[in-house]
Amino acid sequence: MANKIPPFLLAPPTPCSIKQAKGKMRIPFLGRGINRLASVIREGYAQWDFSSQNGFFQKIDARVKILFLLFFILIVTLKRDVLPETYIWVFVFVLTLLSRLSIAKIYKRVLLFGFLFGFLIALPSAFNVITKGDVVLPIATLPRPYNFWIYHVPAEIGITREGIHGVAMLTMRVINSLSLSFLILYTTPFHEIVRALKVLKVPDSFLIIITLCYKYIFLLSKTVEDMHLAKRSRIVRELSPTEAREWVAGRIAFIFRKTRLRCEEVFKAMIGRGFSDTIRFCGFRKMRMLDWGTAVFLFLSGIFFLFI
Amino acid sequence: MRCAVENLMRLENVSYRYHGKIPALSDVNLEVHSGDHIAIVGANGSGKSTLLQIMAGLRYPMTGRFFFNGTEVSERSLRDKGFLRCFRQSVGYVFQDSDVQLFCPTVFDEILYGPLQLEIGEEEGKKRAFEVMEMLNIEHLKDRPSYMLSGGEKKKVAIASVLAMNPQVLLLDEPTNGLDPKTQSFLVELMLALIEAGKTLIIGTHDLSLVDELRSNVAVLSENHRLVKIGKAEDVLSDEGLLLKVNLIHEHIHRHGEAVHKHIHSHYLFHRHEPQNRR
Repeated sequence: MANKIPPFLLAPPTPCSIKQAKGKMRIPFLGRGINRLASVIREGYAQWDFSSQNGFFQKIDARVKILFLLFFILIVTLKRDVLPETYIWVFVFVLTLLSRLSIAKIYKRVLLFGFLFGFLIALPSAFNVITKGDVVLPIATLPRPYNFWIYHVPAEIGITREGIHGVAMLTMRVINSLSLSFLILYTTPFHEIVRALKVLKVPDSFLIIITLCYKYIFLLSKTVEDMHLAKRSRIVRELSPTEAREWVAGRIAFIFRKTRLRCEEVFKAMIGRGFSDTIRFCGFRKMRMLDWGTAVFLFLSGIFFLFI
Repeated sequence: MRCAVENLMRLENVSYRYHGKIPALSDVNLEVHSGDHIAIVGANGSGKSTLLQIMAGLRYPMTGRFFFNGTEVSERSLRDKGFLRCFRQSVGYVFQDSDVQLFCPTVFDEILYGPLQLEIGEEEGKKRAFEVMEMLNIEHLKDRPSYMLSGGEKKKVAIASVLAMNPQVLLLDEPTNGLDPKTQSFLVELMLALIEAGKTLIIGTHDLSLVDELRSNVAVLSENHRLVKIGKAEDVLSDEGLLLKVNLIHEHIHRHGEAVHKHIHSHYLFHRHEPQNRR
């Protein structure tokens, strides 16, 4: 073997100097983005599975939590005033506190998504071009009103009281729905959520698909991160955006191929363990007094919020 | 800054946790000198791969520090183009899963990727690629895409792609894992030749026969992710108590003809039938 070793490998290492290149590396957006996405997925999933077991909501049966989520999202949707929505927000906030979750982490996400999918989307409806009403904040004045197609642009463009109410309502609904969803997601392991969905008669085949997706998104995000590390281990200079794009394209093809192979293997493994057409989950543990008590409390709270 | 000094790598109280929760390394101290060959051994999940990835500058310690040639390796220092180039030129890492490491269209492109990154010239790069392929007997795979290779071939290409960069330090993660006996013995020969050539070789493995064959220095990681012993291969491999404790060997009950007996067992090092163990 020693005879076959190329001379360049036997030569003493080339002395290297940190002076052979100057400046700071810029990490290409695509490379950074793909790695960040993979790490967010993994961390999110890990957070899900390893969420503290000591809080109030973590001790409650998943079926109670799923029904609570659906009931309260219905209530949030039915309310037509900002004040009751605020009361619901306070209620969910207190439950989050009792569950010993990281308020900063959860509400950072809730407020971000609430801003993007609630406030920003509804913002145009605050103007009198879309929502008619009393202008409380004039923005611009045109020489005359304009009409085209189904739209009427008044001479004075501004934000209306009704528009503000509409934007506030939609933003609060989005924030409340997100707060409720994050509360459940961060206090319930994924497999319990899936089993609890059986209570709602969600078909087993659908549940098994969700379970497999959950598992393999995690595995594939790990592969993506490993690939990123493997590339970094051989990168000694800044990559051009074209090189970065080529790498990402190649890796997408690789992931696609790997996913297809994994899919075939998983299906064979399922058949190998006796899978025919019926998917069976093992049953739930019995509901305890704490579960029943909480269910009654949450139901009565929901009724209260429904009628205020 | 010099790249060939006595104290090449130093880890000081290094700890690492995945997702901030799952411990992988706890308070690890290790020194690597130029020309050393070290085997990091430990049971599954003891933190071997994490330790190697920290030494390859691919992960950064959560607490503690890692130095290469006296310079701390961190996200910040690896943003410096000069240091990054020096570090990557000097340290090569072969992943446990060769699949993730091969990302070029063909085997030849894969092997040429590193030399081209180092800007050593296309001619020299091609010469290196051909020489490495010849050494590893993979010339016939030159134009094949990586997904059309067997497990052993992928491993050889992954090693070739790193060797073509001629790193001073070679980090190999479970190099013999999943390989057939012929490819395993080929790899052992290659590693011995590289050690002979003066390379610094660090392998992560739970294969005690490999450690025995390489006669490396051994760093033992326990299942609670601590470095519990550093010593010569013969000292560590003869320490049955330690190997039992870190789960690298186990007590084995089996039948020999009519006799059923129990003894300490590793597939490679120990298979002694002591009279007092007979039942």
